Amino acid sequence: MIIVYEELRKTVKIWLTYPLVLVFWTIFPIMWVIPFIFQGKAFVGALSSQAFADLTGTGQYIPFVIIGAVVSTYMFSALYGIGNAFREESYWGTLEYLIGSPASKGFILLGKALSEGIFSTFFALSQLLFAIFLFGVKITLTKILPILLIMSFLLLALYGLGIGLAGLTLLIKESRGIIHSLDDILYLFSPIRYPVEVNPITKFVSLFIPLTYALIAIRGILLLNKPFHLLITEMVALLLLDIGFLFFGFYTFNTLERKVRQTGTIGHH
Amino acid sequence: MVAIEVEGLRKTFKKGKVVAVDGVSLTIEKGELFGLLGPNGAGKTTLIKCLSTLLIPDGGRIRIFGHDVLKESLKVRRLIGLVTGGERTLYWKLSVFDNLRYFAALYGLYGRKARRRIEEMIEVMDLVEKRDERVERLSTGMRQKVALARALLHDPELLLLDEPTLGLDPQFSRVIRRFIKEELQKKLKKTILLTTHYMEEADELCDRIGFMSQGKIAACATPEELKEKIPHERLLEIKMAGLPDESLIRNIPGVEDVLMIVDNNRTVLRIQSPDPEGILATVLERLRKECRIIGFGLTTPTLEDVFIFLTGEELR
Ligand SMILES: Nc1ncnc2c1ncn2[C@@H]1O[C@H](COP(=O)(O)OP(=O)(O)O)[C@@H](O)[C@H]1O
Ligand SMILES: [Mg+2]
Repeated sequence: MIIVYEELRKTVKIWLTYPLVLVFWTIFPIMWVIPFIFQGKAFVGALSSQAFADLTGTGQYIPFVIIGAVVSTYMFSALYGIGNAFREESYWGTLEYLIGSPASKGFILLGKALSEGIFSTFFALSQLLFAIFLFGVKITLTKILPILLIMSFLLLALYGLGIGLAGLTLLIKESRGIIHSLDDILYLFSPIRYPVEVNPITKFVSLFIPLTYALIAIRGILLLNKPFHLLITEMVALLLLDIGFLFFGFYTFNTLERKVRQTGTIGHH
Repeated sequence: MVAIEVEGLRKTFKKGKVVAVDGVSLTIEKGELFGLLGPNGAGKTTLIKCLSTLLIPDGGRIRIFGHDVLKESLKVRRLIGLVTGGERTLYWKLSVFDNLRYFAALYGLYGRKARRRIEEMIEVMDLVEKRDERVERLSTGMRQKVALARALLHDPELLLLDEPTLGLDPQFSRVIRRFIKEELQKKLKKTILLTTHYMEEADELCDRIGFMSQGKIAACATPEELKEKIPHERLLEIKMAGLPDESLIRNIPGVEDVLMIVDNNRTVLRIQSPDPEGILATVLERLRKECRIIGFGLTTPTLEDVFIFLTGEELR
C-alpha cells in the first residue's frame, strides 16, 4: 500500500515542477463548460423548456447540462491521466523499471489514479464554483454527501477502465486517440448533453455505462430533490458495473502486459 | 553455486523475422564477474532483458539462483538489480533522493529503513553533495551513479549491467569500472553480468567473457584463454594517415586476418600472420601507394583481434 502513497507523492512532485501548467488547467475547465451553457441558451432560449421537462422531469436544461459537463470532465481527465501515465513513464525511460520491479502494478496504477483524482477534483471544483456563481446552481450540504458517494462509486468503474486503458497504451504507445474515441462513445451513449431517452439505441447502450447511473442519480438529487433511498436501483447498477469494469480492467492490463513482454515493445516510443 | 543458468535461449522479434538471441546456453557461477562482449545488434540487451523478466523468451529456459524466470518472476525480480545504459532511466524532475525513495518503495522498502539504506547508497556512490539536486541538473556520469545506487537499494544478489559506461567520459568510465570490480565484486561479493562493446572494459574487469555475435555465443572463456585462441603470439600493427583498401592487404599471401580501426583520418591495421616479419615489406609496399605510413611494429593480440578471428566480425 505504501506504493500507492509513493506513486502519489512522485506524481504530484513532478507536476509541481510545472507550475504554469497547473494555472492553465484551472482556467481551462471553465472554458470547457461555457459552450454547454451557450448551447443550452441557444436551443432552449431560456433556463427551462417544456419539451425537455417532459423527457427528464425537470425543465432546468442548463443546470442539467452543467452537471453533465462537470461530471464528465471529471471522468475524462481521470481517464486521460491514468491512460497517459504509462506513456509518460515510457517517455521518461522509467517504465521498464516499474514493470521489472516486484511491486504490484495494481497499486502503482491506483497511485496514479489517485493523483489524477486530485487533479480532476481541482478541475471539477473550478467548474462547479463557476456554475454556482454565474448561473446560480444551488447546492446544499445535505446533497453533497450522497453525491460524493455516487462519485466514489463512479470512480471505481473509472479506475477499472483506466487500468484497461493503461494496458492498451503499453501496446499501442498512443493514448490520445483511444481516449478521444472513448470520449465520443461516452458522449453519444450517456446523458451528458442530452437525456438518452431521445433515441432507443442510445437508451439501450447507456444501460451499460456507469456514467449514466451516476448522472441520473446526481441530477435526481440536485434537480428533482429525490431522497437518496429512491436511487437504490441506480446505486446497485453502478456497483455491478464497478465489479465488471474492475475485473475487465485488470484482465486487460495483465493480458496486454504479458503481450508486450512477448513482442518486446515495452519502453519503445 | 550456480547464479545464472541459461539453456537454449531463443528470442525473436517482428513475428520471428528478427532473430535477436539464437540458442544461447550459459552458466555463471555465484561471485563471478562475467562479460558479454559483442558489437551493436549482437543480442546482448535482449539477453539481459530476458534474464530480468522484461521479455518473455520464445524458447529455452532461464534459472536465476535456481528460480525459473517465468514461473517465479517475482522472486527473480527481488534477486536482480538492473542498470541499463543510455540517458534516460530516472525521473529528471525529481531529486536524487526522491528518485531513490520511489524506487525503494517499489521493492517494499519504506520509512526509516528505506531512508537509512538510501543515505548509505548515496554515501557509497559519492553523491552526498548531489543528494537534493534534480537529476536533470546532473552530468551523465552522475546519473549513471544514481542508476547504480538504485540497482543496489534492495541489496540484490545479481547485478545485470547493460553497457554501464556507454556515453561516459573516460574519467567517469574508470570510476564506474573500479566501483564494479572493487566494491561490487570484491567487497560486496555480488554476481555480475555486464555487457559491453568495449574490449578494454571486458579485458580489464571480467573473470570470464562470452563473445556474442549475431545472437550466438561464439566463445566463452577467461580473457587469457581467449587470447591464446589466436595461433600467433605476435601481430603486425601499422598506423597511417588516410584510408587504405582492406582487400589490398587481405590478398597478400601469408595474411590470415586483418582488423582495421578507423578514427577520423587515422587508420590502424592489425594483421594476423604466421610470419609477420616476412610479409612486412610487401604490406608496406602496397600501403605506401595509398597512405602516409606513420608507424609500424609488432604487438600482442587484444580481445578485439580474437573477436574478429573467431567471428569474422568487428566490435564497432
Ligand atoms: N523490441 C525490438 N523489436 C524489434 N527488434 C528488436 C527489438 N529489440 C532488439 N531488436 C533487434 O534485435 C537485435 C539484437 O538487438 P540488441 O539485443 O539490442 O543487441 P545489442 O544490445 O547487442 O546491441 C538487433 O537486430 C535489434 O535490431
Ligand atoms: Mg544493447
